[in-house]
Amino acid sequence: MSVIEITNLQKIYNPKKIPVHALNGINLSIEEGEFTAIVGPSGSGKSTLLNMIGGLDEPTEGKVIINGVDISTLSGRQLIDFRLKNIGFVFQNYSLLPVLTARENVEFIMQLQGRKKLEYKQRAEQLLEEVGLAERMDNRPSHLSGGQQQRVAVARALASKPKFILADEPTANLDSHSTNELLEMMLKLNQEENMTFIFSTHDQRVIDKARRVVSIVDGKIEEDIFTSNTVDLKESHEN
Amino acid sequence: MILSISWRNIWRNTTRSFVIITAVALGLAAGIFSLAVMNGLTEQKMRTAIENQTSHIQIHEEGFTANKDVKLFLKNADIIEQHLQSDKAVKAFSMRTVSTGMVASSKGSVGLQLNGINPESEKQVTYIWQNMREGDYLSEDSRKPILISSKTADKLEVKMKSKVVLTLQDVNGDIVGAAFRVSGIFQTTSTAFDKGNAFIKKEDLQKLLQTPNQVHEVAILLNDADEVPNELSQLKISLGEDYLIQSWKEVLPELSYLSDASMQTNFLFLAVILTALAFGILNTMLMSVFERIKEIGVLMAVGMNKLKVFNMIVIETILLSALGALVGMLIGIIIINWTAQHGINLSMFAEGLASYGVSDTIYPSLSVSFYIMLMIMVFVTALLSSIYPAVKALSLRPAEALQGINN
Repeated sequence: MSVIEITNLQKIYNPKKIPVHALNGINLSIEEGEFTAIVGPSGSGKSTLLNMIGGLDEPTEGKVIINGVDISTLSGRQLIDFRLKNIGFVFQNYSLLPVLTARENVEFIMQLQGRKKLEYKQRAEQLLEEVGLAERMDNRPSHLSGGQQQRVAVARALASKPKFILADEPTANLDSHSTNELLEMMLKLNQEENMTFIFSTHDQRVIDKARRVVSIVDGKIEEDIFTSNTVDLKESHEN
Repeated sequence: MILSISWRNIWRNTTRSFVIITAVALGLAAGIFSLAVMNGLTEQKMRTAIENQTSHIQIHEEGFTANKDVKLFLKNADIIEQHLQSDKAVKAFSMRTVSTGMVASSKGSVGLQLNGINPESEKQVTYIWQNMREGDYLSEDSRKPILISSKTADKLEVKMKSKVVLTLQDVNGDIVGAAFRVSGIFQTTSTAFDKGNAFIKKEDLQKLLQTPNQVHEVAILLNDADEVPNELSQLKISLGEDYLIQSWKEVLPELSYLSDASMQTNFLFLAVILTALAFGILNTMLMSVFERIKEIGVLMAVGMNKLKVFNMIVIETILLSALGALVGMLIGIIIINWTAQHGINLSMFAEGLASYGVSDTIYPSLSVSFYIMLMIMVFVTALLSSIYPAVKALSLRPAEALQGINN
C-alpha cells in the first residue's frame, strides 16, 4: 500500500520575477516500510521535495497524497494537525529544543498531541531506551554529542506514532561512528516496526544502506533504483 | 509545557535578559520613587490644608463663601452645635466668626481674612497652635490679642506685643476699627495661608462686627477621613438644605483638582517610562525571535500550531517584563519605605516648597492600589510589546524558517 503518492509535482520559486524551477513534474510512489534515499547534488531539489512531502511548503502544481489524503486540500491548521499525527521529522542540525532535556524533547510532541501525562512519560522513556539513550534522558542537547542528539531527534520523530519519517540529511554533521550508529538504529526500526523512512542525502554511507535510491537532478527524477540491499543489521553493525 | 519553555527561553541568553530586567527594574524603581515623592507632596499639601484650614467638612450659610458677607451668619448655630456634639463620627469642631479686613501698623498694612475663634475648640480642629514661632495661642490673660503669621509680621514690621489696628466693615456696612496686640506669631508650611490669615478671639470679632454670638463657619474634623462622603450626606439630611455643607474638596476645589491632576500626571509620567521600556522589551524579544528562526521553524514543522507559538512569545515577554517589574517594585518599595520613615530633607528649597504649601521635609507615599494599577500597566505594556515579535514569529513559513530565512 502506498503511504505517499506524488503526482506531477512542480515547484517554481519567484514565478513572477526570476522563476526558479525547483521541481519539474515529480511522480513518485512510496510504499509502507520502505527505506528510501533521495539523492542528488546540491540545488537538485531534494530538500524541496521533502518539504512538499512533509507539507512544509506548497507545490505550484501537482499533488501529494499521504495515506489517501491530498494535503493541498487541508487548511493551515488542519495541515499542522496532520503533520503532528502522520509525519515524523528529523532535521540536519539536530534541531532539538535546547532548553528542554532529551526526555522533555520527546515528551513535548506527545503533549502537543494532547496525550495523558502517564502515557507520554512512559513512551518517552521507552523510545529513548530504544535509541540507546536510557542513561542520558535528563541531559540537555548541549550535553549530548551530535550523534546522540540525532538519536533523540529520531525518538522525537517516533513519539507521535507517525506513518513515516522524513529525514533531511540526518548524517550531514555526524562522524562515521555516529553515522553508523544512527543508521543501524533506523534500520532496526525499519525492519522491526516496519517504519517507513525517507531521507534526502548525499552521504554514500546512507545511500549504501538504502533499499531504494531516487536520484534527482534539476528537479526531475533521473533514476529510481530498488537496490539489492537487505536490511542485515549484523552486517550493518560490522560495517 | 509552553510556560516552562518560555521561562527557560528567558535564561538562554542570561546577559541579554539581565540587561533588560535591570533596565525595567531601574526604570520602574526610579519612576515609582519619583511618583511617590510627587504623591507625598500632594498628600502633604492636602493634609496641611485640612489641618490648618478647612478640616474635613465645613458648614456655612448659603452665599457666604462667595463674598464673605458678614450678614450671612449661620441661623440656628446652637442647633448645629448640639447636633455635632452628639454625632459620634465627629472628632471635634470649631465655630468661627469670619470677616475680611485690614491689619495695619505704622509701617504698612495688609488685607487678610480675620478668623474669630475659640482657641480651645480650634485647637481640637486645626494645628496652628503647634506652629507658633513666638508667643502663645490667644491665651485668656491677654486683652484683644491677635495672631499673625511671620510673613505678615515681616510685612508690617511688627513683633511680639506690637500694636496693630484692624479695620473692617461691620454688619451695618460701617467701617469700624480697633487696636489689637500681637500675642503670637505663627508659621505654617503654606505661604499662601500665612499671608492670608490672622486669628483673633471670636468674641472680639463679634463685638467689632456687632454680631454678638453669631458665627459664619463651622469646621468639622471627623474621626475617619474616609467617612467624609457619608458624613456629608448624613449632615445634609439632619440639618436640612438651608446650609451649605461642603467637604474639604468642595471648599478648596483647586486642591481637589490638584489631587486629581497629580494622579493623572503620575500615570502619564508612568506611561512615558513604560513606553520607553516597551521599546527595550520589544527589541530584546525581536532579537530573541530572530535568533531562533530555525528553532521556531522546527516547532512549526513538528506540529506546534500558530496559537501556541504566539503564546510562547507572549508568555516569554510577560515573564521577562514581570520579573523586571517585580524587582523594580521591590527596590522602589524599599526606598519609599525608608524615605517615608526618615523623610527627604529639602531645606535648600524650603521657600519654594512653602509657597507650594508643604514643609521642607517630604515623605514619599504610594497606595497599594497604585501598585496594583502599576502591575496592570506593566502587563499591558508587556502584552503590547510582545505582539510584534509574536506576529513576526507567526509570519515565518516552516520551510524557509528551517533554513533560517526570515521574510
